[in-house]
Amino acid sequence: MTDGMTSTLWLAGESALLPSRIQMAFTLASHVLLVPLGVALPALTLLMEGIGIARNDPVALKIARRWSVVMAVQFAVGAVTGTILSFEFGILWPRMMGRFGAAIGLGFAIEGLAFFLEAIFIGIYLYGWERLPRRTHFLLGLVLVPAGLLGAFGVLSANAWMNTPGGVTLQSGRLVDVDAMAALFTHALGYEFWHFLVAIYMTAGFAVASVYAVAWLRGRRDHYQRLAFLVPFTVAAALTPFQLVIGDLSARALVGDQPAKFAAMEITWKTRDQNPEVVGGLIDDAGNVRFGLSIPVLDSLLVGYSPNAVVRGLTDFAANARPSTVEANITHLAFDAMVGLGTVGAALSAWYFWVLLRRRRLPDSRWFYRLAALSGVGCYLAVESGWVTTEVGRQPWIVYGLMRVSDAVTSAPASFVWTMLATLVVIYGLLAYFFVTLLLRLAARWRREDLQAGPAPEEGAPYGPRPARLPGVESS
Amino acid sequence: MNLVPDLIAVALLLSITAYSTAGGVDFGAGIWDLLAGQSARGRQARALIDHAMAPVWEVNNVWLVMAIVLCWTGFPLLFQSTFLSLYPLFALALVGLILRGAFFAFRHVADEPRSHRIADLVFGASSVLTPFFFAASLGAIASGQVGVNGPSQSVLAASFNPMSISFGLVSLAATAFSGASFLVGDARRYGAGELVGYFRRRAVAAAAVLIVMGSVALVTIGLEAPALLRSMLAGRGLPFALATMILTPLVAVLHARAIFRWYRVLTVAAVGSMVMAWGFAQSPYMLPGRLTIAQAIAPPGTQALLLIVGAGLVVVIVPAMALLYYLDQRSALDAPEA
Repeated sequence: MTDGMTSTLWLAGESALLPSRIQMAFTLASHVLLVPLGVALPALTLLMEGIGIARNDPVALKIARRWSVVMAVQFAVGAVTGTILSFEFGILWPRMMGRFGAAIGLGFAIEGLAFFLEAIFIGIYLYGWERLPRRTHFLLGLVLVPAGLLGAFGVLSANAWMNTPGGVTLQSGRLVDVDAMAALFTHALGYEFWHFLVAIYMTAGFAVASVYAVAWLRGRRDHYQRLAFLVPFTVAAALTPFQLVIGDLSARALVGDQPAKFAAMEITWKTRDQNPEVVGGLIDDAGNVRFGLSIPVLDSLLVGYSPNAVVRGLTDFAANARPSTVEANITHLAFDAMVGLGTVGAALSAWYFWVLLRRRRLPDSRWFYRLAALSGVGCYLAVESGWVTTEVGRQPWIVYGLMRVSDAVTSAPASFVWTMLATLVVIYGLLAYFFVTLLLRLAARWRREDLQAGPAPEEGAPYGPRPARLPGVESS
Repeated sequence: MNLVPDLIAVALLLSITAYSTAGGVDFGAGIWDLLAGQSARGRQARALIDHAMAPVWEVNNVWLVMAIVLCWTGFPLLFQSTFLSLYPLFALALVGLILRGAFFAFRHVADEPRSHRIADLVFGASSVLTPFFFAASLGAIASGQVGVNGPSQSVLAASFNPMSISFGLVSLAATAFSGASFLVGDARRYGAGELVGYFRRRAVAAAAVLIVMGSVALVTIGLEAPALLRSMLAGRGLPFALATMILTPLVAVLHARAIFRWYRVLTVAAVGSMVMAWGFAQSPYMLPGRLTIAQAIAPPGTQALLLIVGAGLVVVIVPAMALLYYLDQRSALDAPEA
């Protein structure tokens, strides 16, 4: 890039499209990291608490109580990053909301209700540990599970609407009527919802279990470690085969719903039969595939169960209605990363169940626990990759077939959005640092407490009950 | 009569009011944190503030998110117009919001006194930024500078004008007032007798500043948007404007005389009425002179769903909040002694 081009990017009159896309991608990518534990950790915590109640096991109750603190800290950070996102819809994409807010907003309205429920019941759950009868506490906590599902439903409904818009009547581009049910339940919701839901439960399970896999590798082998590993890992491993099926169905549904996205995922240039499946690899502007491993005919077989099945290529779509070459490459690599990570997860799960069912015990191979320790990070990468696949693969559309990203963007100068982006990057970096430090502090405190009695785990946490006395203030 | 659109508009106004009052208490505590200084008394006050805020940390964001979702779903054109004109204000408010969240957490992590002081400073400063710029956006809307599909002059003129700045200043006085008033209650609850007097004095002072700032704002409105002032003092805004004018001094008197009854409810009513006075005075316009509720409202299918969600909110959320409040109060009474 020449100096002249660099400087024009910063001119006030320049479109804010590029920095707006980067800012949205950055803030969404950060928020997505908080979603798995935010939505699915309550369910794991309640499962653990249920085990503790049913077996009268104080260790299980202690684990549940500690997880509930992580849940609250995580929720507090997610509340901030989520609020930022909702404002970015106005700051960065005001024209999309102005034109389609009445339709895309429906899912968010439901998500708002769910967010409210979660905020209140996380408070009740943390407050209630010693102040409510055990069963009442458990039953009230159960509200968090459907509240999390409802929230995920709302957001995915909005995203599905952007991918397969429906339920709206347009007159010369203006939205004149909305069929609320049809707009909430668009075609893509069916696969997006289940695919994402299973993904975040898997991620929460593997991520939590990976902490205790590390503990195993460091030599901790007591009832606490065993239980805290076994429960989340079993949940995640049991879900993995379902995800392979749902993922396959999702990709297949895209062939009909968003063929340009599917062409980008498989970097198919020209429409053809006997289409190969390219693993890895990049496509250039002339349609040549470099690097990567090409498996003949496999893509046609997967799409149509026949070597002669015709697969549509990128050139089937006008250049301004399909992802650019760069976007297609990003979509393709992200898709491959997701599928690859999912396959490794499936293999690990198979190993786990093989040992568990055949030998009736947990695996004792160091290699198993090394992989299990990485499974959480792997899942987060897979969730991010899946999200990149669906978002970048939809380009250049913000609402598929109805509105381009470039028509939705703010009229603010590029310099404004670049400045805001830089500010947010710095603050998010700080937030991440504080968040991780806080979690490490909690972990260190709990390790100390395992050796001696101390304050209740949820005391002093966000949403947690206040200690009875004010530190440093004399009572009068 | 457009019953449903009006209901949705009232719900939007109520969410903004709830954020201004509940969030205002929170931001106000942050302002007092900033002003507490490094004396021994100041440190005690800061410990109380920290203690009082911990459980509601950022939970007030719920009201903010609700307002914004109601705005873009129920009144998409209002949302688009407002953000096209006022994005600098929202960006500044957001930076304050996230800095606040980050540094409130950091206070609990910081060990060394120096980094702790930095955290206090950033936390306090962001407690000023956020309410100021959010309230400024309401002032900018009231000034009539926000046009449909963009600002009537320029983004800068729409965002920073006498109206937006006076609304912002009123919000600072109002949040400081409600923050101090509620901290009196927290100090009483923890039996911190000296801090009760400390925050009582500050509540009275903040009430005086609020009355002055409110009067300045009324003069500004009279000069910049005379129609709005008429509606505030002789139209739909009147009952709420009257309520604010009576209740704010009344709360100050309660604090001055150390009468510990009703003062929190009346504080919320005083600040809430101020927001309602603006909203009702402006109705039926959402953008004065340019866009009415009836013109901005989303199609009927969307309205119906918003009503259902609203009903769900009332049926589910109200009892849940009551339970949480009950548990919070009980925890202070019978938490085991350490």
